Amino acid sequence: MTHATFEVKDGCFGYPHGRQVLKHISFSVSKGEMLAILGPNGAGKTTMLRCMMGFLKWTGGQSLLNGENIASMSPRKLFSKVAYVPQAKNASLASSVKDMVLLGRSSHYGIFGRPGAKDRQMVADTLAKLGLSAMADCSCAELSGGELQMVLIARAIVAEPEVIILDEPESNLDFKNQLIVLKTLRSLTEQGITCIFNTHYPVHALRHADKALLLDKSGNVRFGATSEVITEENMRRAFGVETVIGQIETPHNEYADVLAVNTLPDETDIPETPYEESEMEPMTQITGDTRLATLSIIVEDRENAEKINAMLHEFGQYIIGRMGMPYPKKEVSIICVVMDAPETVISTLSGKLGQLRGVSMKTTYSKK
Amino acid sequence: MGQKKFRLDVSSTRIRRILFYLTLIVLPVLAGVICLCIGRFSTTPAETLSALGRILTQGVEQGDNLAKIIRDMRLPRIAMAILVGGGLSVAGLAFQSLFANPMASPDTLGVAAGASFGAVLALLFGAGTLATQFAALLMGFMAVGLTLSIGKGKGSERSLTSMILGGMVISSLFSALISLVKLVADTDSKLPAITYWLMGSLNSATWYTVLFALPFVLGGIALLFSIRWRLNILPMSEDEIQATGSNVNVLRLLTALASTMITAACVSTCGQVGWVGLLIPHICRMALGSDNMVLVPASVSIGAVFMILVDTAARSISPSEIPVSVLTAIIGAPVFIGLLRKTGGWKL
Repeated sequence: MTHATFEVKDGCFGYPHGRQVLKHISFSVSKGEMLAILGPNGAGKTTMLRCMMGFLKWTGGQSLLNGENIASMSPRKLFSKVAYVPQAKNASLASSVKDMVLLGRSSHYGIFGRPGAKDRQMVADTLAKLGLSAMADCSCAELSGGELQMVLIARAIVAEPEVIILDEPESNLDFKNQLIVLKTLRSLTEQGITCIFNTHYPVHALRHADKALLLDKSGNVRFGATSEVITEENMRRAFGVETVIGQIETPHNEYADVLAVNTLPDETDIPETPYEESEMEPMTQITGDTRLATLSIIVEDRENAEKINAMLHEFGQYIIGRMGMPYPKKEVSIICVVMDAPETVISTLSGKLGQLRGVSMKTTYSKK
Repeated sequence: MGQKKFRLDVSSTRIRRILFYLTLIVLPVLAGVICLCIGRFSTTPAETLSALGRILTQGVEQGDNLAKIIRDMRLPRIAMAILVGGGLSVAGLAFQSLFANPMASPDTLGVAAGASFGAVLALLFGAGTLATQFAALLMGFMAVGLTLSIGKGKGSERSLTSMILGGMVISSLFSALISLVKLVADTDSKLPAITYWLMGSLNSATWYTVLFALPFVLGGIALLFSIRWRLNILPMSEDEIQATGSNVNVLRLLTALASTMITAACVSTCGQVGWVGLLIPHICRMALGSDNMVLVPASVSIGAVFMILVDTAARSISPSEIPVSVLTAIIGAPVFIGLLRKTGGWKL
């Protein structure tokens, strides 16, 4: 049996003599998946992240890495597979960027160990890959928030981890830098690295993450495929905000969007009853109402044809018909897919397809 | 982006690294040899070197005064200056990393005040040099132990702020005890000795005191040298330190232990020598950047050079010796201010 890459089983946490912050949290992410953790301020997102890596001890339950309880792993072994990216607060450290990134290698050495030429080369390669080479000799204190966040991500990457855990990686960044960070995470997952991140932006989760975990202030948790978790009803319950979740349409694509419309009066803030058990079921086991939809896709980038095939294969059980047609004159391929599936499954697939470069994609749903 | 600073690149190529380390070794040796020629008993460099040769090859003969002065007075003093200067500088550097605070000095945990109290107490009872040294060392360690036990919060959490506060409390406690000892000390014989000792001086340096301090200072330096890469991680948040696979408490404790060994041994042999632990690490940072891989050896070397020069000035500027801590401040402060203005601000 293969284990999920990272898994939390029945995690509970409360401060001694304090309230129970986290209750019975269970989730799992596989190799190359991206998990977004959402929740209002004070719901315990950061606490949960700290518990997941053992910075705080779960008062109940456990975190598992490839099926092994992390509490019984040595810190060196654990952190050579799991890398942590803290929030990029303006560092008072004047270390140069390359020295800072080099510290990412330290989990591969004992306390008296020191990095060698090979490690320095890895740092240079990683900086080059992320387009940060120009700032290698700059002091971290001189960087902007976006640059510092990328440096901290680079530090996590050189550790060659299987899992990268990030604490609000796109907070305090401008528009463009948010997108750069999220695209970087996406490219990491394509290399098979599992990414778990806290975020304040439901729309980032919806567009980029495969799975989402929603915490609310009473410690209840909702986990599943992103489009099942980020729904208007769940946003209302967890954040006390009335939202509209819809799509922005361009001539090429549709993009998922979450619009906060109104705050709700306080008494509806915290749901009295926890989410029903059936809602915790993972996506693939959902049965019930399905809809018919056609996805029309135009692929301009040949390299993405493979990825699209893999994605369609993954959703094969819902696909009832499929047509592909190359059009050499314009060097594009045209694909048409017909699905019979729950709406959330359809929107997950169309969301994933829409993320790819050089792909235009639209979905048409049947009336009923 | 990133304006060019006046900063030496010492680690980018192999040749630069070798040259850098060579310079670090040559500088203190050179300073030592030059300062060996300076003193109240005036000699020429040629005479000094030939006397040094005689000491090394055939031993000192009866009536060879120059060789005797060099062997018994100047050499141990220079050796002591190297130990104290190099030791206190690297201890300061380590404490600044440990507390993520550019103002931290070797005395942050109260070791200097504790060691001074031990020495003063021993002087009150008329103890000899070695006994005084031993009492100082012991009390220095006790003071740090007290500080750590105060700073230890509930459970295993040991916050750095409470450690700094604990250090302040213990420092002022021992300062008060020192005042108490001075109050009861005999004003004719004991009080001058105590006061002079407290001012800090290397003039009591003999080969015995050097040998006494040597294992602690060298041990501490060796320990810091071997974990010097980890010192780069220390100023970061606790979560970040843990996420590098290091044990935060072990790393912090090792750093504190090494720095305490060095500082206690230095203070117990030559009293409180201020400024070095603050001045030298920052001068090195301003010139070389923030990488402790480079800064640890550089601090040891530059600290040693600085101390040799200052101590030579202390014993030869005026007919009566000037306490070395007075000179470190008088020389150090303007140099430091100049560097500060040139490079703009201090950061770790």
